[in-house]
Parts: sequence; C-alpha cells; structure tokens
Amino acid sequence: MPARPSRFPAWLIAFVSAALLLAACQSQGGPSSSADPSAGAESAAASVSEPNALTVLEWSGYEAEDYWTEFKAASPDTKVDFQFGISDSDILSLMEGDSTADIFHFYTGWQQFYVDEGLVQEIDTSKLTNWDKVPDSFKAMGQVNGKQYFLPWDWGFTSILYNTDHVNGEITNWDALFDDAYAKHISMWDDGPAAVTTSAYIHGYDETAITDDQLASIEAEWKAQKPLNLHYWTGEYVDFCPEVQSGDIWVAYAWQGCYATVLYDESQPIAYANPKEGRNSWVGLYGISSKTESYNLALKFLDDKLGATSCGNAVALFYYGCANQEVMDAITDPVLIQAFGIDDPTILEHTNFTPPVTADQRKAWTDMWARVKAE
Amino acid sequence: MLGRRGSLWFLAVPPYLWLVLLFVVPLGVVAAISLLPGAGRINFNAGWPSLNQYQQVLETPAYLRRLGISVGMAFVIAATATILAYPVAYFLAFRARGRATIFLILLLVPFASSYLLRVMAWKLLLGREGAINWVLTSTGLTHEPAGLLVYSQAAVVITLVYVWVPFAALPIYAALQRVDRSHLEAAADLGAGPWTRFGRITIPMSLPGALATFFMVFIPTVGEYVTPSLVGGTDGIMYGNLIQDFFTRAGNWPLGSAMAVLMLLAVLVLVLLALKLVDLRRVAA
Repeated sequence: MPARPSRFPAWLIAFVSAALLLAACQSQGGPSSSADPSAGAESAAASVSEPNALTVLEWSGYEAEDYWTEFKAASPDTKVDFQFGISDSDILSLMEGDSTADIFHFYTGWQQFYVDEGLVQEIDTSKLTNWDKVPDSFKAMGQVNGKQYFLPWDWGFTSILYNTDHVNGEITNWDALFDDAYAKHISMWDDGPAAVTTSAYIHGYDETAITDDQLASIEAEWKAQKPLNLHYWTGEYVDFCPEVQSGDIWVAYAWQGCYATVLYDESQPIAYANPKEGRNSWVGLYGISSKTESYNLALKFLDDKLGATSCGNAVALFYYGCANQEVMDAITDPVLIQAFGIDDPTILEHTNFTPPVTADQRKAWTDMWARVKAE
Repeated sequence: MLGRRGSLWFLAVPPYLWLVLLFVVPLGVVAAISLLPGAGRINFNAGWPSLNQYQQVLETPAYLRRLGISVGMAFVIAATATILAYPVAYFLAFRARGRATIFLILLLVPFASSYLLRVMAWKLLLGREGAINWVLTSTGLTHEPAGLLVYSQAAVVITLVYVWVPFAALPIYAALQRVDRSHLEAAADLGAGPWTRFGRITIPMSLPGALATFFMVFIPTVGEYVTPSLVGGTDGIMYGNLIQDFFTRAGNWPLGSAMAVLMLLAVLVLVLLALKLVDLRRVAA
C-alpha cells in the first residue's frame, strides 16, 4: 500500500518497470501450471539441486544490504538480484507475467489475488527460526484460507501529518485534507484506493462495499479537493518529506516515516494526528513465487530478514515498524516511541487495517482517481 | 559489385529495418493491446478485439480535456522554444564565424548532464528559497518571496522550454546555413537594409527549418510525463501522466494503450492540418 522509500526517480523506476512488463508481455498470459500451493514441500525435497541464486521483486530502496544483513553474512556466495516495482498493481502485473522473481514484496489488501491466481506457495513456517518472534496478529495478515502464504515484515501507520505552526489546534479528523484554510499546502498521496479509504473513514462508509453512488460522491469531493494540493506525492522520501521539511506542506496524508524524520531533524514543528475515525495501518508482506526453483533459499532469505539486524535497520533507517516483536520491544528512542505510538497501549484499538478488496473494486477506484487527476 | 540501385537498397535497408522493428512493430503492439476487451492484465485470449477502451476514453470528458490542455501546453512550449532558439541559431550561422564550432559545443554542454538533474535544478530555482525568489527580494522587486513558483503549469512550461531550446536551435541553424549568402548580398546591393533582408530573405528561407523545429518539440511534448510529475503539481498534470498511471499504477495496459493511440492520432491530425495550412515549399520559394 504505501510507497516505500525510493532512492530512484519515479520516471526511472517507471522505465525499468515498463521494460520488465514488456518482457512479461511475451508470456503465455497465465501463471505457471505448477502453481500449486503445496509445492513448497516438493521444492524442499529438491533443495539439493536448488540454484544458489535468488531474485527478489522489491520496492526501490529495500535492495540495500541493510535490510537483508543476516542473509548476506550467512550466504555470501549466494547471488541475490533485485527487480523493482513501482506500485502494488505493478508488482502483481509483473508476477502475473514472466517475472523470474523467487520472492516478491507487496502490501496488505492484495493477498487474495496472488493466492487465487496461483502465484504464491505456502510458507513452511516450521523452517523459520524467527517465526515465533512475529505476533499472531501479524501472522494472520499473511494467511489466506487458513494457510500461511505470506510473511509479514514492515508495517506502519497512515494518518495526517501536520505542521503545528500553521494549523490551529489539534487535527482530529481526516477531513482536514479538505480544509481550504490550508489551500496549496496540502498533499495527498497519489493513489486511488487511498483516496477511497480516506473518504470511507470520513463518511463512515464500509470500505469493502463502496456503492456506485458513494464512489461518485467520493470522486466529486476529491475533484473539489484537487486545487488545495501543492502536489500529489509519489515517493515518501523523494517528493514528500523534503516539502514537509521545507515548510511548504502543512497538512498531508502520510506514513510515520516522514513524521520520525522531521522529529529527528527538528526542521518543522510537526504532529501526527490520531483522527477520531482511526488511523490506517499497512503491513508489507513477502511471498514465495509458485515458480521458484529456490524454495529453501527463499525461506532462508525471509527468515533472515526477520533477524534482529535486518529488522532493526528497517526501524532505525526507514522508521518503519518490523514484524519481529523483540526488535520493536527493544526500542528506547523517544522519537521512535512517539512515531510508532508505542507509548499508547490503545493505539491498535483505534487503528483500521487495510482490508482486502476485489479486483473490480480496485479497478473502479484507480479509474476514479485517474478522472480526478485529469480534471 | 553492387549497382547504383543495389547500393541504394543496401544503404536504405538498415534504417528501414530499424524503423520497422523499433517503431512500427511496438506501435502495432500498443494498438493491438488497445483493442483488448478487458481491463487489467494482457490476455490476448480474452475475446474478440473491441473498441471498449476507446469508448471509455471518449466518454470521459476529463481525459479529453487533459489532452486538450496538454496540446495547448505543448504548443506554447514549442512556439516559445522555437522563438528563443532562433536568435541562437542566427548567431551561430551568421555572426560566430570561425568560433561557431566552439559555440555549438557550448550549446550542447547541458546534454552532458542528466536530464533529471536539469529538471531538478529548476525545482530548486523555482522554490520558495530558490534563485528566482532571491533575485526578486534582493533587488527589491518584491518585499517577500513570491511563494512557491514550482508545482504549476508555468513551471512545466519554463522547464521544458529550457530543456528544448538547445535542441531546437540545431535544425534552425542547419536551415540558416543553407541560406544563400548571394541573395543577401544582392539585396544589400539593391539598397535593402538589414531588417528588410532579414524579413524578406532570411526568415522565409529558414522558415521550413523553424517549422520543423516547432514540430520536433511539439510532438514529443504532448505526451511528456517526466517533467510534469517533477515540477507540475496538480495543475501541471499532463495527458502523458494519465497514460503512465494506467501502465504502472492501475495495471490497465489496454486503457493506457487506447489513450496513447488516441493521443497519437490527435497529434497526427494536428500536424497534418498545420502542414496543410502552411505550404512549406511555397514559403521557402
């Protein structure tokens, strides 16, 4: 769901993605017929002949060795290549095509598609040494039809980040994004489903059952909101956080990563809202491709990603939460405690987790957002 | 040994092959994708070709309006870049003399840096604390910074004009070099002043080059998406950004392809119309 830290320009990522997708066009148009969720066990039996190489379909920024430190140290001779996606939709498209990725990384809300299309295989959690450090609530995020298809890794909140020098009082509602008092100093994430979710919170709609009339009214309100934005941001650390730090953005749809960044550098007086409708929360999940020939290596890679150093780096460098609870429990930095709401034991009670929606819903929402942008 | 005709074929085949393989075939693929009936992933077995995607684009006024805005912006950018490039090319062709090569190299120096860097530089220049606001406030023209100049249609136009001017100067320079100096000398002998010579000889004879420059800038600018995504904000979104979104964010290649084909057709119609209105051979004569 959220745009991961991007160290490359969006156009470059788009170009690389387009090239990869073009290659994907040559496919027969469907997932491998060997897409059997139970293939994991078979693959495990064949581990002796597994190639000593992995390809990971990632978000730009996550390829840094800081985020797979344990694996690099334990398997220095293993060749790890990275391919990159620009959005959850892009990553799904790549996996539907001829992506050679053994492992792929996406965000909550898209799990069912991978399972339904046979693109993923079950994770043998008995082989994961760090699995018991993952809270059950996170494990559940990676389950579909009672099976553990995905491994949760990074997580965070979505809420409203605001500059307290320019906003009077506390923001307690998502509709602050529509307040014309902050015209040209608001920034919404460039994402249709995020816009629908925000409107659903404001109007009390059921996010998983948005009607045509509701979608039409959502479209109208975002079209009206469009002139209030400085821009629609696409990369948290590319075109969003720098504008918050410079003081040009006062109110924004944001993840806690930028909140922590600004708290650290003290460039602006900043706050992160606890809207009465609740914050949103997202979880990053890894899946093992049903087509992989390196199942055991992929398992090892994912297990090591849950290690203290790799997970700790996600927290310390990205300011994103990590599924290893021991890492989260060890946080003593007051900024990170504030950013993750660790000092608020009720935080999860007023947090909405991104629900899965159907392909038709996603299409309707992204089409709606294209019309908003075109307006 | 190859005959004259054989040599011509030998020389012509590689560029035509290049054109067919890397232009016509990809264009055909895009056109084929645009006829897929369903949205989302590419599946050529999904059913009979259909005009569903075209219908969806044509029934969405916002898309067509954004195409119109993009055409308008491209026109302003192409016209401005051509007008600004003309004096540069004129200087190179008529005034630089022996130093023309050096100036030509200097003109091309910006291309030694990344396109992205050049665009990002404008982001800094147009920023609240950027160079332009600094000049405005330090010269007393304004008491306070003029706000954020970036994230607007104007920012897209300024940045793209800057990016295109060196490119635009080259075809005009080539056209000006072909202006027969004896015409100018004859006109001078007959008493025509510098402005008359410029208006009656230089401009008409270089106009085909200037028009070629205009179209060279106009055509790719209509589908531009990198610069608007960096400096355009919500006002400066162009039609190319919507196409990009359908390919990379919405995962809806058929609709994105239909939008791309419609843009291509629109540009083609505009160019043909312009060429019909302006008879280049008559102008040059």
